[in-house]
Amino acid sequence: MNIQQEIKNTTMVWKALFLREALTRLFGRRFSWFWLFAEPITHIAFFVLIFTFIRVRHIGGMETAIWLMIGMSAFFMFKRTATQSMNAVDSNQALFYYRQVLPVDAVLTRALLEGFLMTIEIILLITLATLFGFNFSPAKPITILGAYCGLWFFGLGFGLVSSVVNGVIPESAVAIKFLLTPLYFISGVILPIASIQNPYREWLMLNPVAHGIEAAREGFAPYYHSVPEMSLGYLWILGLIAFGFGLVLHRNYSVKLVTQ
Amino acid sequence: MIIVKDVYKRYQTDHGPGDWVLEGVNLKIPKSVSVGLVGSNGAGKSTLLRIIGGVDYPNKGSVDRKCKVSWPMGYAGGLQGSLTGKQNATFVCRIHGHEDDLEDRLRFIEDFAEIGEAFYEPVKTYSSGMRSRLLFAMSLAFNFDIYISDEVTAAGDAAFKNKAAKAFKDLSNRSSMIMVSHGEGTLKEFCSAGIWLHHGKAYWFDKLDDALKAYKESLAA
Repeated sequence: MNIQQEIKNTTMVWKALFLREALTRLFGRRFSWFWLFAEPITHIAFFVLIFTFIRVRHIGGMETAIWLMIGMSAFFMFKRTATQSMNAVDSNQALFYYRQVLPVDAVLTRALLEGFLMTIEIILLITLATLFGFNFSPAKPITILGAYCGLWFFGLGFGLVSSVVNGVIPESAVAIKFLLTPLYFISGVILPIASIQNPYREWLMLNPVAHGIEAAREGFAPYYHSVPEMSLGYLWILGLIAFGFGLVLHRNYSVKLVTQ
Repeated sequence: MIIVKDVYKRYQTDHGPGDWVLEGVNLKIPKSVSVGLVGSNGAGKSTLLRIIGGVDYPNKGSVDRKCKVSWPMGYAGGLQGSLTGKQNATFVCRIHGHEDDLEDRLRFIEDFAEIGEAFYEPVKTYSSGMRSRLLFAMSLAFNFDIYISDEVTAAGDAAFKNKAAKAFKDLSNRSSMIMVSHGEGTLKEFCSAGIWLHHGKAYWFDKLDDALKAYKESLAA
């Protein structure tokens, strides 16, 4: 088969997978689409309420509510992409029966769908918050784009790697879930990393997700005192490494994921 | 033309790798010849079919498909339980490049399967008969050069069996088949050539009768 035909086949598979995933994600159960959007928004609204109630007005020179909204939405961009793409292989097992459908296709399309849905969600969140009187000033649009895309990309890399690892060593699924829960607390989503002393801060900043979250905040408030160690390049480099490693794993282990 | 090159296959068991099922299978299957696979139980007929169909992969060796080859018909695989029959059918139409005439294909599948409103229900609620009806209808909806069939005519109840047999007959007139069946009559009806699987090796016979003869002689010995 020539390359042109292969590309055509792959795009056909991606389109079919994307539409199939979108359908279950949005309409799989009653009001799935509603919960999909309502879950992160209520989650964020809840924390904004708590923090304004205990009167923390500013964090690092940024309005707390906006600090939370940006940080949490950025975190969800990573977390949702990572978990959704990690489970993509399991959820499409029967479809690998058709030889043109590979596990890596399922992971990639799921990540694409999740990134697409999260983008809509973030726009929805910002619009709603603006209607409630919060003022967003996207001062550095390139940084914002780089941060959210970087978190998405790192989530995809994470998903590519973990989908193979979970398939080859089933016990690891528990360990990975174990890892993801504290990530919420150590990524500086609700507790500002900038207020932590060195050397502990440097240790926390080994986590690439924290870099993306801080960068997103900086993009929305140029006067924001972000963590000094923050670097978007670090997030992207680790994302690239995870992505490349994940592709290699899929190339070597896809047969193992498909056959029983 | 399908070229099977030096294919080795063994399965993982609870006690490490099992015995070799296929040990160096070499075959050239022409596009226009229907072939029947014969061999005793456990000789690796279904394994070879699955490898040719691309559902399973060899431990060593390769399969080169130079024409449009169907997925193996007659298995319960290939249906995602959480999706409805229609969604499964839509997916399969799309990956085979039938985006433009999707509606026609879906109507054909729905009409042929005759599972009524269940077509719009998740596949996990189906009985095994309903599953095989849907799968059979799906495999008829596309034009493959070579169909791979494992006891496919055994699907469904009496009424459906007749319909399936007729459709299968029509199919055999326009495409060729690679099939496994324990009914000698079925093989003779559809196939001209034969492959005999014995002790992990495959032997090609231009005439099915010769393959059956070799198979029977091995049983007698």
